[in-house]
Amino acid sequence: MKPLQLQEVVKQYGDKTAVNGLSFDVEEGEMYGLLGANGAGKTTTMRMVLGLIYPDGGTIQYDGKPFHSGLSRIFGYLPEERGMYPKIKVSEQVTYLAQLRGMSRKDADSNLKYWLERFNVPENYNKKIEELSKGNQQKIGFIASIVHKPKLLILDEAFSGLDPVNVELLKETVKELRDQGTSILFSTHRMEHVEELCRNLTILQKGKAVLQGSLRDLKSRYPREHVVLRTSGAVEGLQSIAGVSDVQRTDDGYRIRITDEGSAQHILQTAMTQVNVQQFELKEPTLNEIFIKAVGSESNA
Amino acid sequence: MHNVRTVIGFTLRTKMMTKAFFVTTIILALIISLGVNLPYIISLFSSDEPTSIGLMQGKDTKIEQSLEQYFAKQEKSDLKIVPYANTSEAELNKQVEDGKIEGYLTLEAEQAGSFPKVIYHGEDELGMEKQSTLTNALTLIKTEWLVKDSLTPEQIAELSKPVSLDSKTIAKAGEEAEENPANKGISIVVVMVLIVLLFMTNTMTGNMIASEVTQEKSSRVMEILITSVSPLAQMFGKIIGMFLLGLLQIGIFLAVVLLNLMLPHNAGPLKELNFDISMIDWSVVGGGLLLYVLGYFLYATLFAAVGSIVSRTEDLAQAIMPITMLTMAAFYIAIFSVSTPNSMLVKVTSYIPFFIPTSMLLRIGIGNSAWWEFWVGVLIMLVSVVFFGWLSAKIYRTGVLMYGKRPSWKEIRKAMKAYKI
Repeated sequence: MKPLQLQEVVKQYGDKTAVNGLSFDVEEGEMYGLLGANGAGKTTTMRMVLGLIYPDGGTIQYDGKPFHSGLSRIFGYLPEERGMYPKIKVSEQVTYLAQLRGMSRKDADSNLKYWLERFNVPENYNKKIEELSKGNQQKIGFIASIVHKPKLLILDEAFSGLDPVNVELLKETVKELRDQGTSILFSTHRMEHVEELCRNLTILQKGKAVLQGSLRDLKSRYPREHVVLRTSGAVEGLQSIAGVSDVQRTDDGYRIRITDEGSAQHILQTAMTQVNVQQFELKEPTLNEIFIKAVGSESNA
Repeated sequence: MHNVRTVIGFTLRTKMMTKAFFVTTIILALIISLGVNLPYIISLFSSDEPTSIGLMQGKDTKIEQSLEQYFAKQEKSDLKIVPYANTSEAELNKQVEDGKIEGYLTLEAEQAGSFPKVIYHGEDELGMEKQSTLTNALTLIKTEWLVKDSLTPEQIAELSKPVSLDSKTIAKAGEEAEENPANKGISIVVVMVLIVLLFMTNTMTGNMIASEVTQEKSSRVMEILITSVSPLAQMFGKIIGMFLLGLLQIGIFLAVVLLNLMLPHNAGPLKELNFDISMIDWSVVGGGLLLYVLGYFLYATLFAAVGSIVSRTEDLAQAIMPITMLTMAAFYIAIFSVSTPNSMLVKVTSYIPFFIPTSMLLRIGIGNSAWWEFWVGVLIMLVSVVFFGWLSAKIYRTGVLMYGKRPSWKEIRKAMKAYKI
């Protein structure tokens, strides 16, 4: 039984297909990444998972069961536009939202205090949302989505608009929740977050899954095309090695683009005969590169 | 049910703690206290001393004498006539300037046989009330002057008495005889109070409900709310919460009115009304409250539905206009028909859902409707509350996910299909 399982899910708005035959599943204690350009269907998929809108085709199952009202207690949701009452105190609205998800007021209150402490903003307890900075509003929104200890957490662009320090803080929290067994569905168009946090992912384009699978699989499917070389001095004749398409000089070495993984060994041999090699690395493709390859130039992400 | 309670609690807490609620409640309470005490405050400023008005003598002694005698005979009058013999107008003007008299009267003889013209000289006009006192007195004097001694004083008194025209309804067979008019007066007051109450709650809380929903939608809290509570529970939680808040406010106002009425200086006027609690027809009060609650829910669900369609608060006023018009139509039909509670207009509207609460109330309170008619009205109301509640919940569920410009009905229907709601 998987906490979340989508099969051939289709959603149409009029004659426009927002999501087309999407399937994936999320394990317990797994963080699943949904990647895609704006308008690729990430938010629509999340809304279907949440039962906000219903799919036109396919099934969504939660622990093997179809959507039911009891799910509201295990869901945690952070929408892209945050979603808080601007004129109401933090303590009041966070406990309210937790109560609606079935937690007692007292428990919600003590959890809220714990998380505020954890995020270094205990002074916000009695403030109204509109008095807070954008980053702090986002922290409160995040707390509101996890304060009731959800089993299935859905984060839509959770890290956008945060400074690097706070991104780290939230990442740590998300990892901790994942390790405690929370299943997390995570959407973003920032590749590095997915690379760091997710084991499995789907890249969406115009509602279709163009790439799907585990991060390691995807990377091994794409050839390694970059060689990083750090040397004590200049190396001659790198251009002329077969399979080398581009050589760039950096301050202490080279960045070489190859079309054939076999040429990497030749590069190393050539370099070793001439100078001291301090570093040699055949780089894995980054998710960003894979994404651009898969989605092509049509994407604007 | 648990969630409905949570929503009610949240609505009450967050609304009651706002400055706006405190300030409006206090300001309205102050205005009400002022209104209740207004008669007393006015009486403080106006003295009981009658106004002195001079009378220049020497033009028509007989009429002047009867005028003096008339006001001298009155036990309580706000006018006092001070005769001035052999005084010129300039001297009298001086008296007015010194404040001895408010003004003075002069008689100007017309042609022989007709009553002289009376002219008032003063710094200001005499004012409606005093003028009519004076006119009444002069009319009486004129009658006496005309008939001279051909009529007895009793006959003259009879002549000046206004004609009385009373109406009495004929009781049909099987109906109760006409109730006593004082009780009917109380019923009118009860009906009016309930109608005004319904109108006030509808306009005050209706607007609040609609703008609350729009705010929740524009701040996107709605997306989280919809995933945690069913829209029906959410909508009714909010509506009931607002209802309780409105009742609380009205309760405060009623308490303010009662407290003010209990002040010693207000005891007199209340006694004059001859009011007794046993004169209230409790079946009318009970029926009225039932209609009031049903009417509130009918309108409130519509306000919530409209609020959910609009994305921005600025567009709200325009969108709720049709409902505001309905509340006003229901209010004015009832108010203008208080004297004709059995008219065809009231009869017809007392079976139309949005007008039942006021029109049917009017009929059971003051008109002559049978009780089965009332229950038919209640049934129609119940059915419409359920129907419009269901419809509003659907619109609500659809509307909260539609952003951008205000959608047309066609777009909403399309969206309902698309979202499978």
